[in-house]
Amino acid sequence: MSTDSDIIRRSRDSPAVFGELYDRHASVIYRYAARRAGDFAADDVTSETFLVAWEHLEAYDLDRHDARPWLFGIATNLLRRHHRAEAKILKAAARASSRESITDDSDRIVAQVDAAVATGRIARTLRSMAAIDRETLLLYAWADLTYEGIASAMDVPVGTVRSRLNRARRALRTELNLGLLDETENDHGRLAAAPRNA
Amino acid sequence: MDDLQLLREMRSDIGSAPSATLASGRNTLMTRIGSASRSEATTITHAPDQVHPIRFRRRVLIASAAAALLVGGIVVADVVRPSGPGATAEAAEILNDAAAATLLTSDPVVGPGQYLKIDTTAVYVASVALGDPGKGGRSVEWLDKSSDQLFIPADHAAEWIWNREARIPTTFFSEEAKAEATKYLSGNPSTGELLRAPGGNFYGGPRLLFAGLPMEEGVKNLPRDPQALLDTIRKRGKQGRPEAETLESIAAALRTGAVPADLRAALYKAAALIPGVTVVDKEANLDGKVGTAIGIERPDRETRMDIIIDPATGLLIGEREVTLTAGETFPAGTATAWTSVQTSVVNSAP
Repeated sequence: MSTDSDIIRRSRDSPAVFGELYDRHASVIYRYAARRAGDFAADDVTSETFLVAWEHLEAYDLDRHDARPWLFGIATNLLRRHHRAEAKILKAAARASSRESITDDSDRIVAQVDAAVATGRIARTLRSMAAIDRETLLLYAWADLTYEGIASAMDVPVGTVRSRLNRARRALRTELNLGLLDETENDHGRLAAAPRNA
Repeated sequence: MDDLQLLREMRSDIGSAPSATLASGRNTLMTRIGSASRSEATTITHAPDQVHPIRFRRRVLIASAAAALLVGGIVVADVVRPSGPGATAEAAEILNDAAAATLLTSDPVVGPGQYLKIDTTAVYVASVALGDPGKGGRSVEWLDKSSDQLFIPADHAAEWIWNREARIPTTFFSEEAKAEATKYLSGNPSTGELLRAPGGNFYGGPRLLFAGLPMEEGVKNLPRDPQALLDTIRKRGKQGRPEAETLESIAAALRTGAVPADLRAALYKAAALIPGVTVVDKEANLDGKVGTAIGIERPDRETRMDIIIDPATGLLIGEREVTLTAGETFPAGTATAWTSVQTSVVNSAP
């Protein structure tokens, strides 16, 4: 099984090999982009991500065996073009669940957080937070990148990732009435919620 | 409940990428890779790789169609077998004559404010994957044609201009291919692009002579002694690669249109030293121009690589890749990739 950096190294001599990188990662990039900004944006972002990657092939650090942080970094930048689509999706999600919440006993929402209701609250929080915090949080929770991966994708130090993630999660937990977050929890959150559908 | 878990639940309802979307994205990517590297760097390897699943099945098909293979084999044996070390005597003579003619014809002089204009017409395989590309889905192929004009300023460090016209589906071998090409084009309207880059560094990198060798560096440093040049070209390739790839590197350098006469002559002479290179067709017609085709067989791909030279002037008319056996799409003898090049000096650029 060749690593991503093997594929990239080989594609510098035989460009067609680059297609293997597409086959390997296009679907996760698509899914991530679709979740954030819808199918239409996902088409564009997925295709463009690999074109940009191809054009910057020489810049890839071959010591990094996993190319996903690099690809997600490119996709994240491209998604900024689609911020309107993302805002629309989050707005719709926030609205959809607030209708349901009317029928619920508001006191019980916290105790039995229904996924649909939570979606609305999460969407509302995601909308309200700074774009870089949202990107950090979603690269972590939806793209399943590690702290190091996010640092590489967003080209910032790991410490910055940690503080952005903390800030984003604090906002989320406040909105969901889940109580305050401590550092330990931040590190273990990933294990507690293994990706179900990644 | 954990906030991250809730957040992850939120993503579950978004489905996977439609396979048609992935296939079309891949096609866009491979088209870009194919066209960029055709004009910048390496070889015709991209198009064949792009249709790899078909090639695999093609072999199975051929194994059962022994008669067809035999016919192909007879034709090939007749024309292509080398008679000893280096090219056949006839091919070597034509290449060496072309080298001599090249040296007698002076290169066009580009004055201040003028440009060396390189007109290229090229044809490549285009394909779309039907169904799930990762799971043995079928591909449909046809030939796309594209033209571009590169304007190299007298001062090579100044701004180069490259007008790349849209690719146009041109040759179909089935109604289905025509329908798929039309469908693909309507979903992915092909537009050209007009690029400008100081020093010819389009797409953030230098223009390449062949596999990874920047043009300026190659033109300056490549040896003019034919054997030394051949050794250098071979060394840049993977060890033990087929000799057809050595000729492909030479063709890649020639089709840039920007190789000065002394290096062009050395490339012809180097080609004459490659075992298996032979005269394929003395009346080869490429894009309306007729010349002598000199080629080498590439058995692992069932193709032949040709360069076509005007024997009178030693000028390169173009190069092509020809199928030796019938595949699912292309009959034997189809030029599945070719480039014709014409160089002139002009006073203005777009």
